[in-house]
Amino acid sequence: MSIAELSRMARGRGGPKARQKMPDNKPALVFLGPWLIGAICLMIGPIIASLVLSFTNYNLLQPAKFVGFDNFIRMLSDPRLRKSLEVTSLYVLISVPGQLLAALLLAILLNRGLRGVTIYRAAFYLPSLLGSSVAIAVLWRQVFGAQGLFNAMLGMIGIHTEISWIGDSSTALGTLILLHVWTFGSPMVIFLAGLRQIPTELYEAATTDGANAWQQFKSVTMPLLTPIIFFNLVLAVINSFASFTQAFIVSGGTGAPADSTLFYTLYLYQEGFGSFRMGYASALAWLLVIIVGAATAILFWTSKFWVHYED
Amino acid sequence: MKPTKLAVLGTAIALAAGLTGCAVSPQGGSGPGGTSTTLSNEPVTISMYWWGGDDRIQRTQKVIKMFQDKYPNIKVEPTYGDWTSYWEKLATMVAGGNIPDVIQMDQLYLASYAQRGVLAELNQPQLDLTTMSDSVVDTGKWGDKVYGASIASTGFGVLANKDALDKLGIALPDDSKWTWDDYATWTKSISDASGGTIRGTGVMQNEFQLQLFARQLGDQLFKGSELVIKPETLAKYFQASLDWVESGSAPSASATSETINATLDQTDLVTGKAATMFIPSTMITTTTAAANGANLVLLELPHFADAPQGWEYMKPGMYWSQSSKSAHPAEAALLINYFINDPEAAKVLGTERGIPSSSSALDAITPSLEGPPKAAVDFVEGLHFGAAPAIIPTGASDLQPIIQRYCLAVIAKQQTPSQAAEALIAEVGASVRAAQ
Amino acid sequence: MKTDSTTLQAPPRAKTARLRFPPRRPDPVAITPAPTPAAKSGRRGQTRRRVLAVVKHVCLILLVVVALYPVIWMLVSSLRPDGQIFSNPSIIPTTLHWENYTYGWTALTKPFSTYLVNSLLVVVAAIAGNLITCSMAAYAFARLKFRFQKPAFAFMLVTIMIPIHVVIVPQYILWSQLGLVNTFWPLIIPKFCATDAFFTFLMVQFIRGLPKSLDEAARIDGAGHGQIFFRILLPLMTPALATTTIFTFIWTWNDFFAQMIYLTDPKLYTVSIALRAYIDAQTSSSYGAMFAMSMVSIIPVVLIFIFGQKYLVQGIATTGLK
Repeated sequence: MSIAELSRMARGRGGPKARQKMPDNKPALVFLGPWLIGAICLMIGPIIASLVLSFTNYNLLQPAKFVGFDNFIRMLSDPRLRKSLEVTSLYVLISVPGQLLAALLLAILLNRGLRGVTIYRAAFYLPSLLGSSVAIAVLWRQVFGAQGLFNAMLGMIGIHTEISWIGDSSTALGTLILLHVWTFGSPMVIFLAGLRQIPTELYEAATTDGANAWQQFKSVTMPLLTPIIFFNLVLAVINSFASFTQAFIVSGGTGAPADSTLFYTLYLYQEGFGSFRMGYASALAWLLVIIVGAATAILFWTSKFWVHYED
Repeated sequence: MKPTKLAVLGTAIALAAGLTGCAVSPQGGSGPGGTSTTLSNEPVTISMYWWGGDDRIQRTQKVIKMFQDKYPNIKVEPTYGDWTSYWEKLATMVAGGNIPDVIQMDQLYLASYAQRGVLAELNQPQLDLTTMSDSVVDTGKWGDKVYGASIASTGFGVLANKDALDKLGIALPDDSKWTWDDYATWTKSISDASGGTIRGTGVMQNEFQLQLFARQLGDQLFKGSELVIKPETLAKYFQASLDWVESGSAPSASATSETINATLDQTDLVTGKAATMFIPSTMITTTTAAANGANLVLLELPHFADAPQGWEYMKPGMYWSQSSKSAHPAEAALLINYFINDPEAAKVLGTERGIPSSSSALDAITPSLEGPPKAAVDFVEGLHFGAAPAIIPTGASDLQPIIQRYCLAVIAKQQTPSQAAEALIAEVGASVRAAQ
Repeated sequence: MKTDSTTLQAPPRAKTARLRFPPRRPDPVAITPAPTPAAKSGRRGQTRRRVLAVVKHVCLILLVVVALYPVIWMLVSSLRPDGQIFSNPSIIPTTLHWENYTYGWTALTKPFSTYLVNSLLVVVAAIAGNLITCSMAAYAFARLKFRFQKPAFAFMLVTIMIPIHVVIVPQYILWSQLGLVNTFWPLIIPKFCATDAFFTFLMVQFIRGLPKSLDEAARIDGAGHGQIFFRILLPLMTPALATTTIFTFIWTWNDFFAQMIYLTDPKLYTVSIALRAYIDAQTSSSYGAMFAMSMVSIIPVVLIFIFGQKYLVQGIATTGLK
């Protein structure tokens, strides 16, 4: 249902006009030509195939067998599915605001006339480039392991502990959230751009009216930035629901310890490629589409209360 | 809009046809897909797929080159990947009908691929399996046909870091008749002597080890395609790990969880945080290299005082298999034979994939063996092997991560050993039954 | 997906912020930092500002260290022999084991330069594809009115929500039947079909931010859609195109799964596949070589970001949701 909202945005602000005759069918066909060809030849097929497969038992090595709603019935009583939904929801609820907040704060810090902004920006963006590499898996262990850097630093301030933060089922997800927050580069760049877009005249006007820095932030910066925050939020939610690589490389694809980092797509992947149950994995994928679609729809619904669009 | 709809429908149908049409026929045991079982004189291209690190890539490509020099009309196209992506890609290739002619196989997957008709029976005249003992050949069987030619086989033991033990002033035990109780005492003494910085042992979380543990109790994991292990056996297996963690012999639950999936270089034994590790014996070579040449010693696996004779067995490390759809089964078999039996190839391959199963390969490299590889060969000669158990049946290919998952749940005290045992049997049992 | 437009209302325009933007400035000169609105004059104000700037820099440098720690650790590890990487937790370089670089460069089938070139080839083609086709699709969605516009856009968004793991097998079968597996085409052709909905979405937002009066003026002068797109909108979109270029570069460069599935011949391997070949869970791994080649392979990514970020910031600046 989010789709209705989203497509309304795409259609532009053409309330009454949209009901008129659509005169642009032919040029649209030309401009959308490549996409249409791609959609029909490359995407619709596999997407329909995955929908069809969700009603089958498909082990990749043999032809798929139709099993009706078996896969969906199995979902109702699948403890690992429930666990993965819990893990993913928690992850999305904490890491999305966390990452956006980190990105926003740094963007604000970097926005004003500061020497070396270019270098800082590049430095802060670097983690995003590395976020999914094998090296990070290794490194995360070095930092949050039992003998890791984090515990060493705790030791320096007098807290001595032998806990392995990535190995303990109550903290492992926390380290992954931290890993996500740490790759704040992309949203930061977008926030920075949003801040740059705010006309300086507004700040000047606010200063003349005697507004202090905080008041300026509250009445000028924040309202004008909400569309950008919203944009980042929607994308971050879609992306974190689909989070896979980080959990995969840090836990070796197992969701360990005790399934505490069993992200939804990781479980889907295990079922599809690990256990050769591609039919069930396809059913899981469609459940995900429904969940993410609903989450996006809710975001769009709330946006009318807090996002300030310019006329 | 009708044409679009038609096009969509057409694509979907084509794809559905692809999904069913490309997958191989379900009957296991189909012979080679090609017609000829004799070598061709025409130029022939065959593909070969394996997993492994850079060392294996170099050695394997060198042998491929030697093979091509010897048989100039045969061209071998290699492909390689790491363990995880290997199985993703192989399954995808099979689904798409592009099965490599020669495939490196693991016993976790052999039954899955053989039963589903992907692999050809290895009965080509070009491949000589008489160079290995019958019991080793049998480990490549699914049903009563051979689908995998064992590359290397291995025993299982405890790898101990003698350097570390010497520093702590702890002597090596008499491993010829030590029991699990002895093991618990000895490993605790290591942890105590080091003040916990060096642990005496890790937990048990390995499928091979579970097989051995069950056999010591007169039990077994699978019978044919059925999971038959008793819950008590499994509970005992988990209980042992729990005891070690509680006594301090093994690292804490969280520290264990951290390294349970680590590559060899990151294991506690290699990084100096543990004095021993349960390990397939042939891995002593790579472990020694990873641990900067530390003096590592292989010890026999502890057992129960009343364990039946012959609980030990040789486990195949990996196999060469060939595609049932291969257009050139004779050449594929010739290539497998070259990798398994040829003395010159054996010298290049060394013990990188393990101690060769083939006697002709082993004979070729034995004179030059020294250090860790020699220790691995000697170790195996001292063991008393019984018959190998049935290979892992279809539907249990993910057994290893499942054992690990329950093991971690037990040592983190989220489940009792008997709860974990029941749950594991329910989960794996259902998966195996569903796949048959 | 049901696209029921009657149940959901478009967000009403909020009334709080009634501030107007000045006309948009597409020239880079506009990207000058805003003056600090704090204290305007006086010595005290100046000193305070200086102190504030120093504090800011100290905080930022600390954060840079945190952000860069992994890269530094990787660099140090790439200069250590394999056996020391995991046993030595210190980040102070103790050795200069350059052999990791020389060995890593030649350890696989081909010199590492082959993989760099392959990655570059795929990346450049992907960029070209995304630039051309996503901007065209965006123009249609943003400026044209046509049948099935809503469902088409909705479908485009659904394509980003479906996990790749369930569509990869059907896709592989498709490419396999076309005989294009083990070529770069399955990685490139989709980009020429605007399948990266993210960028289409981005450019839709961007075009909608450009005044419609521009098109209308051109139409009155007799320009067709092609001319409006190429002559008027495309030049104004340079920043958005730069954004697309940089993001496509980085994402394609780091993509592993699709490249691993489609490329079979080691001669065609890309950097992200090659980097995994140094590591094997069961046997020996060459971590030093892997880190060394990781360092080598992030150089192009960092370079493109440093040189491209001016346009990147500018690009999104004019794209903001409106």
